[in-house]
Amino acid sequence: MKFLVTVKRVTDYEAKIKLKADKSGIVTDGVNMIMNPFDEIGVEEALRQREKHGGEVVIVSIGTSDSTDKIRSALAMGADRGILVKHDGPLDSFAVARVLAKIVDKEKPDVVLMGKQAIDDDSNQAAQMLAELLGWGQATFANIVTLEGGRATVVREADGGLETVSTTLPAVVTTDLRLNEPRYAALPGIMKAKKKPLEEVEIGSLGVDIAAKVKTIAYEEPPAKKAGQKVADVASLVTRLKTEAKVI
Amino acid sequence: MTSVSLSSFDLAVPTEEHKMLRDQVRAFARDEVEPQALEHDRHERFNRRLFEKVGELGLLGVTVTEKDGGAGMDATAAVIVHEELSACDPGFALAYLAHSMLCVNNLAVNATDEQKRRWLPKLLTGEAIGAMGMSEPAVGTDVLGLRTTAKKDGDHWVVNGRKMWITNGAVDDERTPCDVMLFYARTGGSDARPEITSFVVQRGTPGFGVGQKIHDKAGMRGSNTAEMVLEDARVPADNLVGEQGGAIKCMMRNLALERVTLAAMSLGIARRSIEVMVSYANDRKAFGKPLNEFGQIQRHIAESYAEYMACRAYVYDTARRMPLDAYGNRLDSDGVKLVASTMGKVVADRAMQVLGGYGYVGEYVVERLWRDAKLLEIGGGTIEAHQKNMTRDLTRGPFPWA
Repeated sequence: MKFLVTVKRVTDYEAKIKLKADKSGIVTDGVNMIMNPFDEIGVEEALRQREKHGGEVVIVSIGTSDSTDKIRSALAMGADRGILVKHDGPLDSFAVARVLAKIVDKEKPDVVLMGKQAIDDDSNQAAQMLAELLGWGQATFANIVTLEGGRATVVREADGGLETVSTTLPAVVTTDLRLNEPRYAALPGIMKAKKKPLEEVEIGSLGVDIAAKVKTIAYEEPPAKKAGQKVADVASLVTRLKTEAKVI
Repeated sequence: MTSVSLSSFDLAVPTEEHKMLRDQVRAFARDEVEPQALEHDRHERFNRRLFEKVGELGLLGVTVTEKDGGAGMDATAAVIVHEELSACDPGFALAYLAHSMLCVNNLAVNATDEQKRRWLPKLLTGEAIGAMGMSEPAVGTDVLGLRTTAKKDGDHWVVNGRKMWITNGAVDDERTPCDVMLFYARTGGSDARPEITSFVVQRGTPGFGVGQKIHDKAGMRGSNTAEMVLEDARVPADNLVGEQGGAIKCMMRNLALERVTLAAMSLGIARRSIEVMVSYANDRKAFGKPLNEFGQIQRHIAESYAEYMACRAYVYDTARRMPLDAYGNRLDSDGVKLVASTMGKVVADRAMQVLGGYGYVGEYVVERLWRDAKLLEIGGGTIEAHQKNMTRDLTRGPFPWA
């Protein structure tokens, strides 16, 4: 079974995020960059499924050559080979989906595993768009993935509980936080990673329209949280929730 | 001619592999090492299960060649692992050092293939715990004065003596000895020119045991320290490591790596202390403004950072130039430990000062780092020993810049 796992290089969740002066984006100079944690769960899931079913785990990332080290991290965890689609600059989710569709055409995986969202822009769109472009089934927010008899049965995290869905393969699956706990790359894996194949593809060579359909106007910081207030008892809490906060 | 881009070269992560290693060990230290550190310090207990996890990551054989089952990395990689582990738990890092540097690396460099096959596999997984026995109750810095003797008797050596301050010597509080102890003993010669040989003694050898586990250490309490006893211990002749009488070179070579990795531990302590004091000075207010707006606090922060960065450059540069299988660079391996150990202690002390009362209690981490930091001025060579050795090397010359 062949798994294609997407990996995005994103700002560290522990980093303090600052906006650029012109509000066109966030400052990334000097900020630690990590593999999107949901993608890391995707890599882990592919490795575990490969242990059960055999096959190949291919990592794909879109970005500058800086993204190479995140692909290598996935290879160090145990993935077989990597593809870097070289591109410098922002891409909206739809452009990402179109680029990935092209890679899927070429690689013909049985399962595309993606993080449910990237923790930088939190769009949560590319996987759904990719499934639509490919005409494949999709299962998002996976909590348990079972691959059997040409089908993917996925227990997914939905509002208010768990839901089980099933789709034929090939399919697109996105990972939620509790699907697994990614392994650390062991030292022998790190030493082997450099010897594994990593193909670089210029985005222009794919013949895909990557023009933005979504225009970013400005980035703004969320409003600062106001200090909390203490209330004397439950009755006054309820009153103030009704009259001041107007939430009940 | 190949050109090296100096502006993009990073001493502390010279290659992609080093970067991945640092990222992985940092994540592991944050998620697995940090949460257990305070508890194990408090109870003076070595975390055996965590040690096995370190084995699963392949870190116990960081400097061992791939042929011998290790990762085949260099001294820089060893420094990275020690710095990252120490940023969370120097006590645990010290147990790692005693095992991986003093025992495993020494065997990987000096033992025969047959010996390596016997000892390394279990040491590399963490199933077996390794230690190194050099210091004795009455002999530390003056190592050539060691009193432990080994006398040949048929196909055995009969060993008598005691080894003191042995990290990992005991594996628990029940005086269970480590699985493998590499140790040095006199096999002949005179007091002026002793013949010194290294051997391995294994748990279960009659006459080999733990004299006492050392209690009430100020710091480094996440590692066990013990006095080891060899009393008519019969060590098989094929446990002799290297040549009879040839241990001094092996010892000196291995101690150079020990000093550099101990210096790396001080780097970890200092870096963490700086993070803690900067964050606290940012959050805590006095007289209506954050502490970091006070000149006295600024001095603590700025001097700590500058001294840390200076030591970091010296340690990583020395590691970069350090071969693992040749006679090491004594001047600079002494030099890095001399400056980094005191720097680590001073920076931890400044962090405690910035935190005030909070710094003095365990929950805020620097209190533990402050206690741990002191050992590095004593263990693996006192700073006075470094001063003595360095002055001797510099007196004999030539200067390294000549």
